Amino acid sequence: MYDINLKSLTKSFGELQAVNDITFSIPKSSVTVLLGPSGCGKTTLMRMIAGLDTPTSGNIFFNDTDVTRVPTKRRNLGMVFQSPVIYKGTSVKHNLELPLLSEKLSSSEIAKRVNDVADLLGISGDLNKMVEELDNGTRQKIAVGRAVARQPQIILFDEPITNIDITAKLELKRSLKEVFSRLSQTIVYVTHDQTEAMTLADQIALMQDGVITQCAPPKEIYEKPNNQFAGWFLGNPGMNFIDEEHINLSGTEITSSLFIQTIEAGAKVSKVKTLGVRAEAINVSSKQTPNSREARVIRKSLGIGGQYLLDLEYGSLKVKARVTHQVGRDVGESVWTVIDSNNIIMFDENSVAI
Amino acid sequence: MTKKVLDFESKIKEKKTSVASTNKRMSWLLLTPVLIFFGLMNILPTIWMLGLSFYDYTLTSSKGATFIGVTNYMDFVKNEQLSQSVTRTFLFLLIAIIFQTLFGVLIGVLFWKNDKMPGRRFALTLFFTPMVVTPIATALFWKLILDPTFGVINYFLTSLGLSKTDFLTDTNLAFPTLIVVDTWMWTPFMALMTLAALGSVPKAELEAASVDKLPIRRQITTVIWPHAKFILMLGILLRSIDAFKTMDLTYIMTNGGPGDRTELIALSLYRFAFKSFKLGYSSAVSVFLLFVAIALTAIYLYVLNARKKAEEQS
Repeated sequence: MYDINLKSLTKSFGELQAVNDITFSIPKSSVTVLLGPSGCGKTTLMRMIAGLDTPTSGNIFFNDTDVTRVPTKRRNLGMVFQSPVIYKGTSVKHNLELPLLSEKLSSSEIAKRVNDVADLLGISGDLNKMVEELDNGTRQKIAVGRAVARQPQIILFDEPITNIDITAKLELKRSLKEVFSRLSQTIVYVTHDQTEAMTLADQIALMQDGVITQCAPPKEIYEKPNNQFAGWFLGNPGMNFIDEEHINLSGTEITSSLFIQTIEAGAKVSKVKTLGVRAEAINVSSKQTPNSREARVIRKSLGIGGQYLLDLEYGSLKVKARVTHQVGRDVGESVWTVIDSNNIIMFDENSVAI
Repeated sequence: MTKKVLDFESKIKEKKTSVASTNKRMSWLLLTPVLIFFGLMNILPTIWMLGLSFYDYTLTSSKGATFIGVTNYMDFVKNEQLSQSVTRTFLFLLIAIIFQTLFGVLIGVLFWKNDKMPGRRFALTLFFTPMVVTPIATALFWKLILDPTFGVINYFLTSLGLSKTDFLTDTNLAFPTLIVVDTWMWTPFMALMTLAALGSVPKAELEAASVDKLPIRRQITTVIWPHAKFILMLGILLRSIDAFKTMDLTYIMTNGGPGDRTELIALSLYRFAFKSFKLGYSSAVSVFLLFVAIALTAIYLYVLNARKKAEEQS
């Protein structure tokens, strides 16, 4: 299998720098998700890997081979597009076969691959149907099947779930998870949806303004964002940020109206500009406990999975907290909160974690 | 309480209907001038013509219009010259459109493939000029180009040691020459339609085809043709309807000659109506032409509809 190495890759469209000097390695035989808000350059980056866009400068290597100027056809990769691409006027089976026909395979091998991939995606029953009869979800499965059946070294997914209606979405996501667990290929997956990224990725490469800001496994990137953007973009709600006016720095210690303890930060203290706390890292209780801070509930809403989202107020400081149980306190009443020092992340003036 | 809500709802409904009816009235009001114009200039004359086709009515004759039933139509069917002219028109249409489509597609594909070629816009503009020049002007300057004594083509022919040829009066060459000029004039149109047709192929499908390593042949059959066929066919149909009415080229360049070698139906019709002033008879011929045009238009609408359906499916 190939790993993908990008060297100073840049793509600009006129004034706009879609991809800005990215040097990065995508490890082989794993699922790398390029995650970021719209317009961050993730699709452009993928299209350059596919050879559908030409970089303004920089190089792309598959293993050690420079493929920057190699046309798409000779890059030995598969790709699934945002809108499901099917070849019209033919059956599902023929759609899956088409890319295999130019691969010089025996007909029994072709039949085997088509059946395997149809089984894997759960579309065996549809093999003889005409593609026009199928809904978008199934069409996208065919597109996935086409990419997988050819067994290329690299498979690229460009927001494959975005254009699918909500009911088919979940099923397709499950199928993809299943497919990914079986494949040993290098997979690059572009999305703006963090849940998708969290579910499917071996590692997430977070992109902002044409630059990859952090690449780490989902859990790590969530818990240890190395900049404020990562903290804000991942999680729902995003990370709470406590700015300077609510922080006191003295010597090597940090105190705040948010928590009662003193954080010993050593020499780092001088650089601290902002603190970050995840909503679920704030432990909320209805009774006063030792070492807790009092807060007032100013809003209360029900989140997904029976979770509650509380807007809390500590004097002039407002944060969001997420709890999995009924706190039994209404808007306007007091609660008491505790935050573990390990869950408090420090950021410097450039919004980078320290 | 409930009554109040109901009252409120009915009021909203009332308001909505009144807005809708005002909108409807307004749209009719705005349409009226066009409808009047269309009725006076298209519908009325057509009905008039339909009626006239059952009369013997010649402007140069002293007797007035006399009803003769379908005699005009019978004459038209029996008239060998006319039926030859109809056959010739279809032949002209067929050959011209085959060449125009062939060259048009070729050039269209060339422009489509090289969409980053420097000077592409300029080349396109230049290339499409024949289509926008008035046919009369085209006919006139081609007549000059082909002129046996001072035409540029004969200049080259003689400088190559070949004999002078009068393309427009040669019995074997006049008809093909006309097709060449028509092709020169309308190939750009087919190229434009080809570009539009190719433009209707979704980019993602083309990209998927190149990722899937489909050979060119399969790319054409499975990706390009299913999308492009509609606009291309519409182009061919539009061209057919237009070619069927070709009049200016033959009128200026050959006036139907030599003999009747280049006499197309529209020219014959012109002669009957405005040279012999046989209004009844020429009306019958016009009705025939009208039906051919309607038949072609019906196919055109059918294709349009098929395209809409195909789009809805995806």
